[in-house]
Amino acid sequence: MLKLILAGAAAMPIAAGATVAATGVAWVDVREGGPQGTHIVVPVPLLAAEMAASFAPIPDIREEMGEARQHLGAARKILEALRESPDGELVRVEERDETVVIAKEGDTLRVHVTGKDEDVTVNVPLESAAEVIRPDGRIDPGAAVRGLRHARFQTLVEVRDGDDHVKISLW
Amino acid sequence: MNRTVLAGVGAVLVVAGVVGMGAVQARTNGAAAEPTGSTGAPAWLHVRVDEHGKSSRVRVNLPLTVVEAALEAAPAKIVDKGRIKIDLRHDGDHDLSLAEMRRMWHDLKEAGDTEIVSVEDGDETVKVARKGDVVQVRVSKPSEKEEVHVDVPVNLVDAVLAGTGDSVDVKAVIRELRSQRGDIVRVNDSNSAVRVWIDESAAGEGR
Repeated sequence: MLKLILAGAAAMPIAAGATVAATGVAWVDVREGGPQGTHIVVPVPLLAAEMAASFAPIPDIREEMGEARQHLGAARKILEALRESPDGELVRVEERDETVVIAKEGDTLRVHVTGKDEDVTVNVPLESAAEVIRPDGRIDPGAAVRGLRHARFQTLVEVRDGDDHVKISLW
Repeated sequence: MNRTVLAGVGAVLVVAGVVGMGAVQARTNGAAAEPTGSTGAPAWLHVRVDEHGKSSRVRVNLPLTVVEAALEAAPAKIVDKGRIKIDLRHDGDHDLSLAEMRRMWHDLKEAGDTEIVSVEDGDETVKVARKGDVVQVRVSKPSEKEEVHVDVPVNLVDAVLAGTGDSVDVKAVIRELRSQRGDIVRVNDSNSAVRVWIDESAAGEGR
């Protein structure tokens, strides 16, 4: 009987770990002050984030958005058209000290800004972005978290600024 | 002991499997919902701006489907039922109404290849002419090394001016743009160069 209890007790955390691994984890990795500085790593299970988001009310920010509200429908349609369009580099701006590149690769919109001392990469899963904008014009943050489950095994955000480095990746 | 360990491992695998299957199923459904890509090469609208003085280069490459979505989804005060509302008279008597432009265009089309406008002012020359399938606009000002080349296909002008009333049929214009290939606008002056063209390459030529 004791063996059965022990096996059950061991199975529970392993099952929980497997569930978290199967549903995805967002890794927030912050490094300040170079190799000798502070290093913080926070794993956030997407399932937990999704549950938390599902309890949060969907904010109705239509009034606050003012005139921008009327462009939400357009933004949604443009995102959908982008998802269906072929891959390619959409925008490239090169200036003396800065380069901005926006490219579509598969279901991801990649934004890369390279400056004199900084380097920023943002990968936007188009599915999540389209789902954030509800058809009624409201913003649904929970949909963004749900959409992240389809965008696993990639870096969402990476910022390098001198000795500081922030990286949020999905596993 | 072996049986209980196996039972525990089995439980873990079942839980992971069920959750994993859910994730895979959701991904598969998402993939199935995506339409299959067109087998024909899609058209891309390219904009290239080079500012020599600022060492600045801008490249924009957009699939026409995205341009179409942006135009169709524009707010109702700009586009209504697929038509752009145009009021050309608000600045006074110098502007033409869309109806007047349609009449003029009809007459010009009937005239065939001809020079429509020719203005010489100092060292600046402006010429608008129809040559074959394109309407050419040429502005030249050698003192400022300025040169503007605009080649608008006749069919595109037809599409722009095809509607009735004070509106432009966006869908007709997009349809025409889809079949259009090559330069639409080319502007060169001493400080900058702008080129707008359509082709079937995502990267655009001459990057």
